[in-house]
Amino acid sequence: MKKIIFALMLLLSSVQLFAQSNDVEMADALRSNGKIYVVVICIVIILVGLLIYLFSLDKRLKKIEKKSSDKN
Amino acid sequence: MNKIWWKILGSVLVLYTAIAGLLSGVPHLAILNETIRNLYFHVPMWFAMLTLFSISVFYSVKYLLYGKESDDIRAIESVNVGIIFSILGLITGAVWAKFTWGQFWSFDVKQNFTAVAILLYFAYLVLRNAIDEQQKRAKISAIYNIFAFPMMVVLIMVLPRLSDSLHPGNGGNPGFNSYDLDSRMRAVLYPAFIGWSIIGYWIYTIRFRIRTIENKQNS
Amino acid sequence: MQLLHQVKYLIKKEVLLEWRSKYALNGVLLYVVSTVFVCFLSFVSIAPVTWNALFWIIMLFASINAVSKGFLHESKGQQLYIYTIASPLALIISKTVYNVLLMMLLTLIALFFYVMVFDYVPQDLGLYIIATVLGSLSFSTIFTMISAIASKAGNGGMLMAILSFPVIIPVLIVLIKLTKNAIDGLDRSVSLDEIGLLLIINALVAAVTLLLFPYLWRD
Repeated sequence: MKKIIFALMLLLSSVQLFAQSNDVEMADALRSNGKIYVVVICIVIILVGLLIYLFSLDKRLKKIEKKSSDKN
Repeated sequence: MNKIWWKILGSVLVLYTAIAGLLSGVPHLAILNETIRNLYFHVPMWFAMLTLFSISVFYSVKYLLYGKESDDIRAIESVNVGIIFSILGLITGAVWAKFTWGQFWSFDVKQNFTAVAILLYFAYLVLRNAIDEQQKRAKISAIYNIFAFPMMVVLIMVLPRLSDSLHPGNGGNPGFNSYDLDSRMRAVLYPAFIGWSIIGYWIYTIRFRIRTIENKQNS
Repeated sequence: MQLLHQVKYLIKKEVLLEWRSKYALNGVLLYVVSTVFVCFLSFVSIAPVTWNALFWIIMLFASINAVSKGFLHESKGQQLYIYTIASPLALIISKTVYNVLLMMLLTLIALFFYVMVFDYVPQDLGLYIIATVLGSLSFSTIFTMISAIASKAGNGGMLMAILSFPVIIPVLIVLIKLTKNAIDGLDRSVSLDEIGLLLIINALVAAVTLLLFPYLWRD
């Protein structure tokens, strides 16, 4: 068990190293074209947030539907 | 409430702001660059949140006056939706801040105070969960809601104006009004306020309807 | 006229009860003195900014303890008795006034002791004293209402902290700014904004409290 955890940790740290070496480039990408991609990210965040919210509402509604169909 | 025209109006307004917000001309500013377009998406979140919290206070007052249970449900549901919008506003603000001010959390007064304001409404939710008896819960939470609202307004609208902030329009920074919120931007921003508020109101009515059916089933 | 009479009577009752046991006064004084002493022993010498922040943190917890006693520690029988002899308005006014007096006394003693122990006098002591008076005023008005809400909700202490901290943070921030001005010895006209804001917050809280408390009180 311990070994597996250790291996996982090593793997994770290597992933981080990768991320670090790429980080600069990624930031450049986000900052290119007049930082328009920041706007894209924000719009995506809002849409994803609202969509997740919709899904949770849907789940709740399903529960109610189940309940009402059980009654009938 | 079930009329459809205002829902279409809200959708059209939001669609319009998304399209016009990305395509219309904006002032050319250093550092901000194109991210100024975030104004059309980040600020309306706060406006929608304020609208929903105001609705909540309105129904809390109504509950105290008339004691109808549905008013209490309206108050709590609009707070729930308002919190969603405030979190979205906080996250988009953090992302925007990362690429203009350099950090996700820049210890800007407005960021900090809105976080506190969200805490205020979390406290409201905790208070609701702490009381078991339905009528007592409705009454006490309505009172706390009305008590908290002026504090929230002070936190978000008044205090940032007194202290130094990275946000425009606060503490010596020139507001967008003074140099760049020209008529082109106004034409997108104000419809965005209205559109997102309508969308927020729409979600709130859906939640309210679900909640009433749930309550009916459980009783 | 009747209201005034009742308020006077209730305040007299509170003061008499307090005078007999001297529980709040002695307890909180002991708390303040020991915390100040612990702080002194751990810091010894201290930068003015930290000195200021530390003072307000100590006062914050002291005032929560002192003020929340008012409603939280009253038995059901006591509440019922007061309910029969006085109107809710008289009750909340008397409680608030009594708490304001108690807190002013406590903060002034604490400030005196704090200045003495750390051997540090703010440059503009007059303004600092005005700020502490304003601070104790706002602490007691806000905490009185919130302790009433928390006591009605049932489980007191925990809820009191959760509900009051988000509400008190804006006041605390303004207070720290104001006292910072006093420490730096800035011209008093600079601080007028903060004093005005504190007074406005107090007036707001007082108005909301007076409007809401009758609803809270009747079961």
